Amino acid sequence: MKGLLIVSGLGILAMMAEIFKFKKLLFPLVLLGILGAYVANFMEWNSGFSIAVFDNMIAFDKVALAFSGVILATAFFWFIMANDYFEDMPTVVDHFSLVLFALTGALMLTAFKNMTTLFLGIEIMSIPLYVLAASKKKDVKSNEAGFKYLIMGSFASGFLLFGIALVYGATGSFDLMEIRAKISEMGSGMPSFFYAGIIMMLIAMLFKVSAAPFHFWAPDVYQGSPTVITALMSTVVKTAAFAAILRLFMIAFGGVSESWSMVLASVIALSLVIANFSAAVQTNVKRTLAFSSISHAAFMLMVVLANLRSNATLDALLYYSLAYSIGSIAAFGIIYNVTKNGDETFDSFNGLGKRNPLMAACMVVAMLSLAGIPITAGFFAKYFVFTTMIGTGYKWLLILAILTSAVGVYYYFKVIIAMYFKQATTEEPVTIELSQKVVMILTTLFTLALGAVPGFVAEMFKF
Amino acid sequence: MLGYTITQWLFGILSFLAIMFGLMVVFSRNPVNSVLYLVMTFFCIAGHYLLLNAQFLAIVHIVVYAGAIMVLFLFVIMLMNLNEDTEPQRTWLSKIIAAVAGGLMLFVMVGSLKGAGDMGLQQYGNAQIGFVKNLGAVLFKDFLFPFEIASVLLLAAMVGAIMIGKKEAGES
Repeated sequence: MKGLLIVSGLGILAMMAEIFKFKKLLFPLVLLGILGAYVANFMEWNSGFSIAVFDNMIAFDKVALAFSGVILATAFFWFIMANDYFEDMPTVVDHFSLVLFALTGALMLTAFKNMTTLFLGIEIMSIPLYVLAASKKKDVKSNEAGFKYLIMGSFASGFLLFGIALVYGATGSFDLMEIRAKISEMGSGMPSFFYAGIIMMLIAMLFKVSAAPFHFWAPDVYQGSPTVITALMSTVVKTAAFAAILRLFMIAFGGVSESWSMVLASVIALSLVIANFSAAVQTNVKRTLAFSSISHAAFMLMVVLANLRSNATLDALLYYSLAYSIGSIAAFGIIYNVTKNGDETFDSFNGLGKRNPLMAACMVVAMLSLAGIPITAGFFAKYFVFTTMIGTGYKWLLILAILTSAVGVYYYFKVIIAMYFKQATTEEPVTIELSQKVVMILTTLFTLALGAVPGFVAEMFKF
Repeated sequence: MLGYTITQWLFGILSFLAIMFGLMVVFSRNPVNSVLYLVMTFFCIAGHYLLLNAQFLAIVHIVVYAGAIMVLFLFVIMLMNLNEDTEPQRTWLSKIIAAVAGGLMLFVMVGSLKGAGDMGLQQYGNAQIGFVKNLGAVLFKDFLFPFEIASVLLLAAMVGAIMIGKKEAGES
């Protein structure tokens, strides 16, 4: 709860920077604030104490605190990585406050206990992102990205609201626990529009995580947005949306899983196939990573599909989102530096192994982690997902996931091959800011460390 | 009257009008007409709120939606000078796909609501909730957190609008 208050306060403070002229101080202040929020989060975790004032609306229990921790840590790295892009902009203050407001929404999504807070969280997170996606005002692609995201996002919000209304009509409550209680009380006597409501909410949430067949906006938005914003979308936003899905479907609708699990299973299968095969034929790096994020979304949805109310489920999703976020921050940070001249094809990576060996090495680790090759965090992330799935009746999905991952290896390796085995057109070394270099090294080490001692995060939930 | 109470008559008439005007919004070729039909739809929905004993909501609905937001709509349409000629022509394929998708949605909704009539009406919570006094009490007690956090949403929207509209250095 304190973390949420600190981050939203930080957003307001960022707006003040323009008026009171401490623009130069803003970046260290934001970093300090996020660190402070992280520490407050950590202390709440250890004390087992949660502010119970709004307990019916929002509750920072251990699950919420763990996902908030992932989000805040990612945001910390993201700010260091993105500062270079924002530094010289006249609108740096607006950018920072919008990102912090989006972060507020993301934290809300990890902890909501009520449909109203769910909806508000999604809107608070999405509206700044619509603007940020369109923030390169003179770039047609960026405008298109923002516009597409806004229109599609509003449409999904409409579905979410319609779904909430139907669920409310059937259960008479917005509260997750009360909905759960009502389901177990009524059993199969729930009216059929209740199930229609669940599916509509599912559609809206699947849209937010860009699972197929609701993924059409993702490649265009990821490609058109400024690279650092794309990094934010594929890390912080993804983690928050998955925390929300897990909370919603495990707490509220866990009792009627037979009504939505088949839908979810087909969505996962579609996402795996469409994402991996589409990614393999792309030439634009950001577009490829957009499709790769769809396939990662499918993996994370598998955890929800397993629908086990156990610590292993929480651990698996937490570990996956952490591994994916850290790997993505590293990958997008490097893509940002490499594609500064505007060329976003795979060719821009040609000869990076010679032009900047350190960056190339970091990129290799990030790509291996995203592909799920052993000794990196990504491998164990996939492994934990598979272990939660193995006991369920969806073994065909597991086989499909393994097969499509093999396709995934192909397009991740395309980058590595370009870096080491292709001739660069220029021998000119790629420069990188010191702060970004530090983030790259830290995230790379973190990815390797997570892979070396997976138990450190994977056994967080023991209570 | 024909076995129905006056409330049921009002409900039927308002629903018919709301659906009819809703269809007119979609079917009219001129964007300005669409907006005006939308205003009528909103008035019908406000009537429904009145029937549900939610007076405050009805008034807010008329003031905010039919008043403020519709004026914004009209402004945008006039500034962009939209009329029948500028409306893009859709291909037959996209029309058919839209009709099928919308029809399926309607099918699901009708199907799932079909049995709901037998459920009997249930009254959740306080019947007098529509009055400003009761609404305020709920808003500032049970829903205090969403009420406060909504300010962040509005603030974010404002900052975003200003950022998009701000003139950057070198822009004329």
